[in-house]
Amino acid sequence: MKTIAIDAMGGENAPKAIVDAVLKVKPKLRDTKFVLFGDEEKIKRLIPEDKKDRLEIIATSEIIVDSDEPVKAIRRKKDSSMVVAANYVKSGKAGALFSLGNTGALLACGIFIIGRIKGVERPALMPTLPSAKSEQGFNIIDVGANAQSKPEYLVQWAQMANFYAEKVRNINKPTVALLNNGAEDDKGDPLHQEAYKLLKETNLNFIGNVEGNDLMEGKADIIVTDGFTGNATLKAIEGTAGVILRLLKDSLLNNGLRPKVGALLAKPGLTALKKRFDTARYGGAVLLGVNAPVVKTHGRSNIRPIYYTLLQIDKMLSQDLVGEYKKYFSKSR
Amino acid sequence: MTEEEIFNKIADMISERFSIDRDKITKDLNFQNDLDADSIDFVELVMDLEDTFGAEIPDDDAEKLQTVGEAVEYIKSHQN
Repeated sequence: MKTIAIDAMGGENAPKAIVDAVLKVKPKLRDTKFVLFGDEEKIKRLIPEDKKDRLEIIATSEIIVDSDEPVKAIRRKKDSSMVVAANYVKSGKAGALFSLGNTGALLACGIFIIGRIKGVERPALMPTLPSAKSEQGFNIIDVGANAQSKPEYLVQWAQMANFYAEKVRNINKPTVALLNNGAEDDKGDPLHQEAYKLLKETNLNFIGNVEGNDLMEGKADIIVTDGFTGNATLKAIEGTAGVILRLLKDSLLNNGLRPKVGALLAKPGLTALKKRFDTARYGGAVLLGVNAPVVKTHGRSNIRPIYYTLLQIDKMLSQDLVGEYKKYFSKSR
Repeated sequence: MTEEEIFNKIADMISERFSIDRDKITKDLNFQNDLDADSIDFVELVMDLEDTFGAEIPDDDAEKLQTVGEAVEYIKSHQN
């Protein structure tokens, strides 16, 4: 049986949205056990008597909050739901760690408690984002686990993302591109020029450089980038999308009757667009390169994204993603 | 544990972690200058030291540890 360790206290809607999502996904994942870490009384109250099978609660007394400094928090708040869950995974009792809490602290739990896979230089954070071309979206790695990157790291991240795209997203021979400031081979600073050369020498389906405006077009299934650029890029995409949607809604609803009628007529088209850019069904961002999948979903998430993230984690466990990485990186050392 | 035993354990740990020759590890070896250790390497090392020696190294103390010799001295003086 697979086991997922869940920090039930992370995020704005904890623990209710988390427990509700677990109860919703449980009948679908019959070979999976869910261990919830957090305030025992609060969690218990949310679980009906007849739905307690394959559910365990482990009581913890502290919570890591967003304002906590990540490394200090995981070293000091030893009885926090996140740290106790991470140690549970480290001990081998669960195969994956899931949280909606402080991203930095979760990354620190992954890197320092669960630990790096031997041969992996640096773990990296990878979400799946929507694209215009494909309903499957694309992966971008690293979006901020590393402030400083080396060319060799980018190659390992591409390899890990490649396994993920093949095994979890079912993409055959995924295309891999390097995010750069131009499409030509010699573009970029020394880090990106060297990364380009190294990526070209791999057996990955590397299609070269792409620029920022190519990302959402879906020019590649996997975009590799240094953590600094990746983080800035992700925030720019999220921020731009949010502003456009807000302005669109505002201009349709606050400009008299005609735009309102227009919006009503355009509703099926707008709904289809919304569905296409529905990020919830892609699940959470995964920290790849540590000894168990560590997965983060947005702190504001309601049941739906949490539900899909649990399905995504279950698939990673079924495909033994970490086992594949261990085999691969022990050979390449 | 004697100073020599502590040194040997730490040297083994560093040799494995940073893939460098065990013979090249001396007490003067500086984590940042000689190993090119960044903050992730350093925190990993400190947590590894805590696990290996069953010691708790507070952040303020950890920040002061710059060489292998200083780490050996710290572990020796904080043994249970």
